[in-house]
Amino acid sequence: MLSDQLKQIRSQNRISSRTVLNYLFHDFVAIHGDRVLGDDAALTGGVALFNDQPVTVLAVNRGHNAVQRQHFNGGMVSVSGYCKALRLIKAAQRFNRPVISLIDMPGADASAYSEHHGQSQAIAEMLAEMGELSSPNMAIFLGEGHSGGALAFANTNRIIMLENALFSVASPEAVAAIVNTDTDINEYLPMTATALKRIGLVDDVVREGPKVLENIERAVAKQLSALNQLNEQELINQRQKKYLKVLEAGRE
Amino acid sequence: MSQQPTRGTWTKCPHCGGHVNQLEWGEYCQCPHCHQYLRLTAQQRLKITVDTNSFVPLEFQRKTNSQLQVPGYAEKLTENQQRTKLKEAVLAGQATINGVSLMIGVMDSHFMMGTLNTEVGRVIRVLYTTAKQRKLPLIMFIASGGARMQEGIFSLLQMNTILMAKREFDATKQVSISVLTDPTMGGVSASFAFKNDLVIAEKNAQIGFAGQRVIKATSADKLPANFQTAEDLLQHGLVDDVVAREHLRGYLATLLKLHQRG
Ligand SMILES: [Zn+2]
Repeated sequence: MLSDQLKQIRSQNRISSRTVLNYLFHDFVAIHGDRVLGDDAALTGGVALFNDQPVTVLAVNRGHNAVQRQHFNGGMVSVSGYCKALRLIKAAQRFNRPVISLIDMPGADASAYSEHHGQSQAIAEMLAEMGELSSPNMAIFLGEGHSGGALAFANTNRIIMLENALFSVASPEAVAAIVNTDTDINEYLPMTATALKRIGLVDDVVREGPKVLENIERAVAKQLSALNQLNEQELINQRQKKYLKVLEAGRE
Repeated sequence: MSQQPTRGTWTKCPHCGGHVNQLEWGEYCQCPHCHQYLRLTAQQRLKITVDTNSFVPLEFQRKTNSQLQVPGYAEKLTENQQRTKLKEAVLAGQATINGVSLMIGVMDSHFMMGTLNTEVGRVIRVLYTTAKQRKLPLIMFIASGGARMQEGIFSLLQMNTILMAKREFDATKQVSISVLTDPTMGGVSASFAFKNDLVIAEKNAQIGFAGQRVIKATSADKLPANFQTAEDLLQHGLVDDVVAREHLRGYLATLLKLHQRG
């Protein structure tokens, strides 16, 4: 059931991006601020080593308890967070570093502040920059990730999802509110890891349970080593073809 | 919202409530009392924008996504097609403005609120690709509530794939212009709408990422009266300019002239 799955991935005990960041990477150096508006707590960004390779990390923080969730805005990244991410992606491009995002967010921040400082523009810029990146990029969905706000972090060569994670056009609540019909249309939309793997959007579904961290590490190592074999143009082409193929599949 | 009055009839202005005769709306569909606009259909928009009879539509073989089985959606599409006489929520083609050739895309909010789905996304990608091949500038009239929920993730993935097509268009050094009309929201706003070289807003248009209902539900921010209007965005430095509907054609003609390449 979708409601059970939502309850599970939104629970206080759900694995956090901070836990995954600490396990996967070492020598992590956080890079703060977007240089104009401030420093969005919902997004931790920085550079670290994965095995021996320097990578750029974009980790969305949701928080375990109510206090943390308020501090992190429940993982809803604001315009400042997207601008910070953009800055980090540009640096990754310059130093030819892979970008790895850890996603756990219901959507982008919805506030007058973000609107007045160009939330649409910031998400569009990040989407474009991720698509044009000539180094590898990869997204790992830990919990949920919805709307263009999550897609900005997932316009990537590879998408890895934990087996209970969700990725949809909008949060299931928003979908149900917008399309107000008797039947819940969420039941008909592919958003689970297995459904998205079936349509070719997700590359790897990671088993949860006690070994989840090891399993994530193995998946990242496998996907990254494959991407490290591709040159700059091949990476851009692979990303583009992957998404177009998903869109063409099933059309007649 | 979506008035398309028949001859000689009276309609109520959705903005001020005044009674307006069909003839009084005029070709700009402007209320004679409060001077606000009605939303235009794609055909009405083309008529006041491009040179008479210059529009040549791009032809598409319609495809459907058999993976989508949302109950009632197919019927909804048919109903919208019959009512609007459009195949989908966008018209695209080549035209001229004051004799200058361009590719033009016009979204129509009367077709499922102009929402972005697989087909609309494909048309917009082809629009960029064709503009690149024909080495023409590109103007897009945006009118969209965002991504179409009924096509789920497939709607969402239009946002990044359209930007990929745009990237190739950009190599031509031709100009791309967005005209944000009422409404420009969500996944359309946060993708190609704000990524074209110039971003112009039509006077009084509602433009934003998140809807006001969502903002009120998730944040404590107090919303000013003109929140997410074209004028509000101009004040915050988010659009290049705000232009009244009756001046748009001349304004666009000037922009095209300024960006003409020998
Ligand atoms: Zn009026």
